[in-house]
Amino acid sequence: MDVAALTKRFGEQFALANVAFDIHAGEVLGIIGPNGAGKTTLLEGVAGLLPMDSGDVRWQGRSLPVAQRRNSIFYLPDGLRPYQDQYVARVLAFFAGVYRAPRAQVALAIERLALAPVLQKRVRALSKGFGRRLMLAIGLLTPQPVLVMDEPFDGFDLRQTRDVVHMLRELAAGGRTLVLAIHQLADAERVCDRFLLLADGRVLARGTLDELRSRTARPRASLEDIFLALT
Amino acid sequence: MPSRETIVARRAPLRPLLAKEIREIVAGRALWILLLLTCPLVGYSFFQAVSLYAESSTAAQQSPELAVSLSPLDGVLVPTFGASYVAVTLLFPFVAIRVLGQEKESGTLRLLVQLPYRTSTLIAAKLAAIFAAIMLVSVPALATLAWWTSLGGHLSAPETSNLVAGHVLYGLLVGAIALFAAAATDSTATAAIVALAFTIGSWVLDFTIAGRPGILEWLSRLSLTQILRSFEQGMLTAAVALGVIAAIGGFATLAGIWLSPGVAAHVKLARSSICVLATVVVLALVVQIGFARDVTEDRRNSFPAADARALAKLSEPLRVSVHLAPEDPRFIDLQRNVLSKLARAMPDTTIRLAAARQPVATGTGDEGYGQIEFSYGARTDVTRSTSPREILPLLYGLAQVPVPRPDPGGGYPGYPLVADAQVTLPFFFGALPLLIAWAWWLSRRPPQRGFVVSKETTK
Repeated sequence: MDVAALTKRFGEQFALANVAFDIHAGEVLGIIGPNGAGKTTLLEGVAGLLPMDSGDVRWQGRSLPVAQRRNSIFYLPDGLRPYQDQYVARVLAFFAGVYRAPRAQVALAIERLALAPVLQKRVRALSKGFGRRLMLAIGLLTPQPVLVMDEPFDGFDLRQTRDVVHMLRELAAGGRTLVLAIHQLADAERVCDRFLLLADGRVLARGTLDELRSRTARPRASLEDIFLALT
Repeated sequence: MPSRETIVARRAPLRPLLAKEIREIVAGRALWILLLLTCPLVGYSFFQAVSLYAESSTAAQQSPELAVSLSPLDGVLVPTFGASYVAVTLLFPFVAIRVLGQEKESGTLRLLVQLPYRTSTLIAAKLAAIFAAIMLVSVPALATLAWWTSLGGHLSAPETSNLVAGHVLYGLLVGAIALFAAAATDSTATAAIVALAFTIGSWVLDFTIAGRPGILEWLSRLSLTQILRSFEQGMLTAAVALGVIAAIGGFATLAGIWLSPGVAAHVKLARSSICVLATVVVLALVVQIGFARDVTEDRRNSFPAADARALAKLSEPLRVSVHLAPEDPRFIDLQRNVLSKLARAMPDTTIRLAAARQPVATGTGDEGYGQIEFSYGARTDVTRSTSPREILPLLYGLAQVPVPRPDPGGGYPGYPLVADAQVTLPFFFGALPLLIAWAWWLSRRPPQRGFVVSKETTK
């Protein structure tokens, strides 16, 4: 998938200015940047949920119209609690039913995200961590080749984050492409193959950790050091 | 060649979507509160209507002439369903807004629009949920039909089903307006204000400017309340029924246009303009359809059968020139008793309103004011009467055909009933609300363990 020159303005202010990147099958791309950098705007633009002023998203070399993005991309927004008055089991059953997910896939998603204890709870009663797990489970039930997630580790403790990182790596190893907006740089460093560093809606840098180290001439620097050096 | 989107959209099953929409509307408190409020409202209206009907029936038992005027449609059904109408007008928008407003406010809409359904499918599923809700809200009113027959009351199937269909269409229209309001606004509170502006606004429109001349008269016809009037009068009018369906379609399409978050506001506005224009064109075409059927048992909207047959045989065009102002009570009387019936009995009738306003009462005004001129073929006659008893013989005279003899027997007998509806009050104030509360409790129960991997997902 290629994202070419996405631009979005709110009034006179650029939220995104000619943002471009590409991503390959089975790759995990981390979009990092300070608050207000345009990460969520970029993800919503890529998913076709926010109209862009200009730019294009291409899939296998062809332009992907907004109306067709949902065939290739599924986006999990940050902080969303879907269908708060419904029981977790019913929400999962709904998405599994829509995508005709096999029972084994549903059972696996519940098991991997340890959702069994809350299946009979209403979504509004879930803790932040379980709410996030529910969203991840929905992501696991969708069939689109590209899964876009906004802050997938928000609300998880250390152990849970490690488990989710492991799960996402397995997902990518299975051929699914992941685009993750992450503000916790240590988590991003563990899960992502490549990075796109955004600030004020502009791309400051992109590449693997090693490429970013070379660019900043800090061969042993962590992602956090690179981030601080570039912003 | 169909696009990949088309293929995916065709493959996506509808059942989970429909089940989700119905669960969402049932999960809200608004539906159940509306139902609980409707029970006593409808129940008391029914009790009062039956009591008044019984009083009139007592007098009619001594005089068969009085019995003829006793129709269950006017006496019981219209006032009872009227209570349901008030509840739907004021409270149903809050129920219908939920089918979209909740998803929009919580951000879940961003997941919904990514699902493999066309926007039209998403909107159709939401309309189906609104239909299910309006049927649920109609339960108390429908229960009165069962009570009425159990008390010994008479029901005419065509006029009753026509009235029920009118109320269902009205509810669906209110629901479609609420759906559009939820799609076009950012919060459920704003959506409620927009929807109520339509429903209560048209109510006010109806009360304040109905019967006024010119543009005000035309504006008053846009009132939602006017839609019900023809159903309540026992008329099945294609223009009204299809017009309501077209309006529902228009509002649903507008909701679809404003549903997609990925489309710029100016594009939505442009599409909305096209949609409004298309709906207006469809409505303009639909109102030209002349088909109308009087479904009342007493044929109150038609001339007696013998007259209707005789008039249908008159082949030449009839021109009627009315020298009355539209707000003049004589014109309203003429319109109701003669002109509307005449237009259906003789489709080739042209009615012209010759006076725009009433003359000032000085005694020196227009001498011709109040005259009604009938021209059939080369002959013309004038009358000041607004009664069919005088106008029909005048028409037969113009056409030079004999006055038809009334059909022997078979006239409307009237259905007086002296019944005490006190027995229904415990049902509407106790049993039915309890039943509704029990259904509410059932709807709130969690799914059984193992549900998610056994019932709704595929093998």
